Amino acid sequence: MLRYLFKRFCTMILTLFGVSILVFFMVHLIPGDPVTYILGDFATNEAIAKLRSEMGLDQPTVSQYLSFVSGVMQGNLGTSYITGQSVWEEIAQRFPITLKLGIISLLIGSCIGILLGVISAVNQNTWADYLVSIVSLLGVSAPGFWIALFFIYVFSFQLAIFPISGYAGWHSLILPSLTLGLGSVGNIARMTRSNMLEVLKQDYMRTALAKGTRYWKVIFGHGLKNAFIPVITLIGITFGNLLAGAIVTETVFGLPGMGSFTVESIVKRDIYTVQGLVMFLGMMFILTNLLVDLIYKWIDPRITLE
Amino acid sequence: MLENHKIWIIFLFLLVLTGCSTEDTTPKSQDASKATNGGELVISSVREPDTLDVQKTTWVDNANVHLFDYLIGRDMDGSIIPGLVKDYTIADDGKSWTFHLRENVKFHSGEELTAESVKASMERFIKQSPVNFLAGPITGVEASDKSTLIVNFSEPYAPFIAGLTSIYLSPLDPAALKSEGDKFGNKPSGTGPLLFEKWIRGDSITFVKNEQYNWGPSDAENKGGTNVDKVVFRFIKDENTRMLEFNQGNIQIMLDVPPSSVKTLENTDGVQLHKLLDNGLTYLAINNDKPLFQDPKVRKAINLAIDRNQIVQYAMEGYAKPMYGPLSPTIPGYSEKVEKMAEQMYTRNVEQAKQLLHDAGWSNVNGNGVLVKESKQLSIELLLTEEPVMQRIAQILQNQLKEVGIDLRITVQDDSTIRTNESKKMHDLILWQYGWSDPDILYILFGKDIPTRLFSTPELEELLIKARQTMDEKARMAVYERVQELLVTESPWVPLFARERITAYRDIEGFKVNPYKKIVIQDIKLKKQQ
Repeated sequence: MLRYLFKRFCTMILTLFGVSILVFFMVHLIPGDPVTYILGDFATNEAIAKLRSEMGLDQPTVSQYLSFVSGVMQGNLGTSYITGQSVWEEIAQRFPITLKLGIISLLIGSCIGILLGVISAVNQNTWADYLVSIVSLLGVSAPGFWIALFFIYVFSFQLAIFPISGYAGWHSLILPSLTLGLGSVGNIARMTRSNMLEVLKQDYMRTALAKGTRYWKVIFGHGLKNAFIPVITLIGITFGNLLAGAIVTETVFGLPGMGSFTVESIVKRDIYTVQGLVMFLGMMFILTNLLVDLIYKWIDPRITLE
Repeated sequence: MLENHKIWIIFLFLLVLTGCSTEDTTPKSQDASKATNGGELVISSVREPDTLDVQKTTWVDNANVHLFDYLIGRDMDGSIIPGLVKDYTIADDGKSWTFHLRENVKFHSGEELTAESVKASMERFIKQSPVNFLAGPITGVEASDKSTLIVNFSEPYAPFIAGLTSIYLSPLDPAALKSEGDKFGNKPSGTGPLLFEKWIRGDSITFVKNEQYNWGPSDAENKGGTNVDKVVFRFIKDENTRMLEFNQGNIQIMLDVPPSSVKTLENTDGVQLHKLLDNGLTYLAINNDKPLFQDPKVRKAINLAIDRNQIVQYAMEGYAKPMYGPLSPTIPGYSEKVEKMAEQMYTRNVEQAKQLLHDAGWSNVNGNGVLVKESKQLSIELLLTEEPVMQRIAQILQNQLKEVGIDLRITVQDDSTIRTNESKKMHDLILWQYGWSDPDILYILFGKDIPTRLFSTPELEELLIKARQTMDEKARMAVYERVQELLVTESPWVPLFARERITAYRDIEGFKVNPYKKIVIQDIKLKKQQ
């Protein structure tokens, strides 16, 4: 196990190295830099040159890259030239909201998704199955901002149960989590359904039923457990995406999370922040994947991690 | 099968809810109410400031100005009024300004405002502000006694008044500068009517009343701190969300109402709208470095092909004033004479535009109705940002130019990309805007040494320098009138319109906006809720 974790750690470093190259060159290739944003309309050539050199943007690209990487290796993700805060400070302010949002919406999405998937697999080709398909399709295709506005209008504006926007504790996260969760219900339900259908045909299912085990226990205990691995993968990817921030949902609900912040930083060409954020998110994605692999092992002891 | 029933129940529940939503539940009316002191005022704004350190940004708006006081103010009509500076004199050679400061003014830290502290702020501004050119050719700042400050210049620099009447040169609290240093923006402090409390990035900024304030300028009726105890600026980007928050009464003042929401708000009970002409213009920047646009006939033809009224009516829903000359009416130095002349010259005239293009050699038309010269099509690219209003304008422009045989290609880019293209002179046309409360903006757009300058002639360059060095207000404005005439006859750009800033408010009294500053926040009172 330790050896496995060590190996994973090494690949993680390599992957992050790749991420650092990609993000560095991407942010340096898009036209515009933070200087044009900071100095605005009234910039003189002198002022531009001065600020560029202060920010180190006049250095050769390679040495800029090296100083970025050496910073990251020392745990320094850089400092935003626009807000004056370090990227870690920015993350500390915004990531907790995104993390909570991600966890709640993942719980909503997977509970409903798996339940619907199982129901439709068990009742294959009946009206219940079709209904679940329609609901899944709606969940996948209804645009997030539309669901968000619908929820706000009904629950916050008409019924005044939840705040309309902004972040003021857990109750501010319920509608956004529902919005995001429902978006992932469709995919999870479909994935669960198709895997369950495979499993239902297996001999051990028939054996279990023949033994006299109760129907739902067979379905959930024997069936779902075996159909779970691909679903876990999907849930892992969904979670990784959620951690990068849900831009549209955050914007509509006015939540100060990672997604809207990343986009804003890109628009403002706050390149140090963008670099730092992408590195951080890359790390989160890798850690999520590792977690998923460990969960595989826990669910299915036959899987070896070496 | 139990689960299936549950699904139905959820469905029915949703249907019932949708049914509810058609009911009319207008928020409680608060008409028969009285104003009260105290309470919390919530203001929504679209753009969050990058920093509250006004010497580190070009962007100042209501969310970051009320911490500070202006050195010199402008009244509602633009005339100069005392601020923290009681009075000032300019030496005959125009190279030295002497300021007498108001006494008994205290910073938020309790420290007293002195000439030394103003000097320190001014020097910090000169050293690090992205707009430090506003200080001009300053050679030194000296505090000759506790309340007298002298600023020396190497040559006369009249637009210094624009800096003095801006928030950029407001005195910052020396105690905070000392303790926070470069991070002043995280714990900003000045002499203004509001104190900083907290900033949740991406969400809101909270200010509280400055209890010791009693030096309000003459444009405010209330010379003391704000009537309300707390002012919260909330940054809500989504238009629909903002409208819902406002309609529910969670926000009292909604800044920058998009034109498309105005009609709805006009018909909402208890909501009032305030309209204010912008100190700036939306215009078409023409790249005069390109050979095509070096022919004034082409530039004039584009100007003549455009119907500003149509743009204002359809893209701005009427909430703008069509403009033909270089300055918007609220900028000092605006000349009605020039504006009239420009209107006469450039009111839409398709025939004249076609004739000018014909004279410029664009005499043939291809199958698509586009003019051709030496087998090249008259096809121009227009850069614009993704702001919905801008896109609507671009489509109207495309149609209008099509009628004279110009093919307009619309390209949406983000702000930074457009700026890069502009500074490299890669563009044809840009749908752009400027805002500033001094005619010196013409120097910034057309002056010497400006990398993005739109156009220049030796006469224009000389006049703009002369205007900067003319200390007599009247004589200076006369120079700007000549500049404006020149710009109208040369047509190096196409002014389109001045926007109306629309603010919606409810449940408050005493709302007013000083066009040269911002909301007069001290005078606002909340209406008592019944």
